[in-house]
Amino acid sequence: MGPVLVVGDAPRGQLAPGSFEVAAAGRTLAEALGARLVGALVGRGLGPAADAFLAAGMGELYVADGARYEPYSGEEYVAAGDAIVGACAPAVALFPHTLDTREWAARLAARRRTGLVTDCVRVAVDQNQVVMTKPVYGGSVIAEYVVRGVPQMATMRAGACEAATPGTVGRIVPVEVPPVASRVRVLQEVSESGPAGPRLKDARVVVAGGLGVGGAEHWHLVEEAAAVLGGAVGASRAVTDLGWVPSAHQVGLTGTTVAPELYIAIGISGAVQHVAGITRAKTIVAINRDPDANIFRMATFGAIGDARAIVPAFVERVRQLRG
Amino acid sequence: MNIIVTVKQVPDPNTPTNLLTIDDAAKRVLAPAGIPPLMNGYDANALEEAVRLKEQRGAKVVAVSVGDDGARDALRRAIAMGATEAVHVEDAPDLDSSSTAEVLAAAIGRLAPFDLVLCGRQASDTDGGQALFGLAELLGLPAVSPIKKIVEVEDGALVVERITEDGTQRVRVELPVLLGVSSEANQPRYPAMKGVLIAKRAQIPTWRRPDLGLGATERRVEVRRLYVETREARTELIAGDSPAAIGMRLAERLREAGLI
Repeated sequence: MGPVLVVGDAPRGQLAPGSFEVAAAGRTLAEALGARLVGALVGRGLGPAADAFLAAGMGELYVADGARYEPYSGEEYVAAGDAIVGACAPAVALFPHTLDTREWAARLAARRRTGLVTDCVRVAVDQNQVVMTKPVYGGSVIAEYVVRGVPQMATMRAGACEAATPGTVGRIVPVEVPPVASRVRVLQEVSESGPAGPRLKDARVVVAGGLGVGGAEHWHLVEEAAAVLGGAVGASRAVTDLGWVPSAHQVGLTGTTVAPELYIAIGISGAVQHVAGITRAKTIVAINRDPDANIFRMATFGAIGDARAIVPAFVERVRQLRG
Repeated sequence: MNIIVTVKQVPDPNTPTNLLTIDDAAKRVLAPAGIPPLMNGYDANALEEAVRLKEQRGAKVVAVSVGDDGARDALRRAIAMGATEAVHVEDAPDLDSSSTAEVLAAAIGRLAPFDLVLCGRQASDTDGGQALFGLAELLGLPAVSPIKKIVEVEDGALVVERITEDGTQRVRVELPVLLGVSSEANQPRYPAMKGVLIAKRAQIPTWRRPDLGLGATERRVEVRRLYVETREARTELIAGDSPAAIGMRLAERLREAGLI
């Protein structure tokens, strides 16, 4: 049988943590199937990222490295992915779930005439089948899928599994990718993320605000709480729609799905779409004026009252406690 | 400009969790009878974008939907919002992404020539977000998604803004192209009474697989099992005499729990 392929994510040459999670999922799967584990990276200036990823226990790491992969263009990545799949003929191919893999893994599956399940929280072998699991219907229902086709493909949600520990170090195999007649040209890239803070989807602590924060003029409360905890700032869709913060901060099924150790929801009622994005958070804290708010159904700790009065006291006390 | 918009009828995404039921034999999720299904939210954004182009520049907008009779409701809604015409392709309402793409590609192939195919970035039932890319592959089109804005319409090209993990890309794409539209693009209009009346009288043809030269469905992704997972946390409420006291106590409690 073909190997299990794990494809890392290395935007601007920086290996994203999700890469190691997918590597871990792939390793477990390869062991269960009695298959080899191989990896792949696509991007520009991948030297250090490739060395780091190779250490996650793969026999070979297929690397497509070149200026054509930055800025990201779906056409170029699909071509690279197609060449990689051609080179290693995997039985299973796993990717971190990002806005980019949403495009190019989906297109690659179509080009290879195989099936893909996006945004999986689990990929495992059961009764000799590779089973892909993902929440559907806003997270209310869990669906298990089986892919017909080769390779069996899945993109995996950040935080779906623990990151891989170092394993045997294999070798790097450069991949030749035929040129693409591109019909898409990136004119400009703008980064909207805040200064220095952790990326929302990788953050161990996320502090998110909703309408209950009370207005754009009070949004600093959310930012201060995030800053004091060293966390990322999240927001409900209602708040990003109103323009209090850029949509890059939106947490939920339609924004970023997060899996932090600690998720603090300030003034967020907990609409289905939002809650679906935080089901993998380990501990949820809800601060809300409405004791019947849906968010309390999944919160470990709850504080009922006006966020504008609770949060400043909370931030001040955290500051004292952390010295 | 000829624009195709794909739309899908989905269960209301705000249906309370406990009202969804699972048909184990058919491996389908059933929405409660009392809550009517509706047009997928992102598809409404795609349609709104098309209708705006029609109003600003003149365009023919054809809405296409695959599914059972429910799909016709989404198509009537599309016409009510301003689509020029609509085509219903009759098939199972729960095809996998690649089968959906196959059927849509066959139908859209019949509607050629076209300049632009607009889809929602994903549908709120399974949030797969991949039928559009399968469709683009079969039609041989470039595809860009998720789109938050169509910035400029040039001769033979569009400039659009695509959402990235940490911001935005401004991208120039040659026509014809397929775009996956996100909710940032617009606020879909509520159909005016005139539109509703037009939609009521509109003739919506139904095409079937054999009409499109398609054989039996071959799914590439099969549902193995569906189940409901309940996550009911037992919430520990933080007590205090005042909001400030609650805030301070919350910090202390999280510290005790080793969380901060």
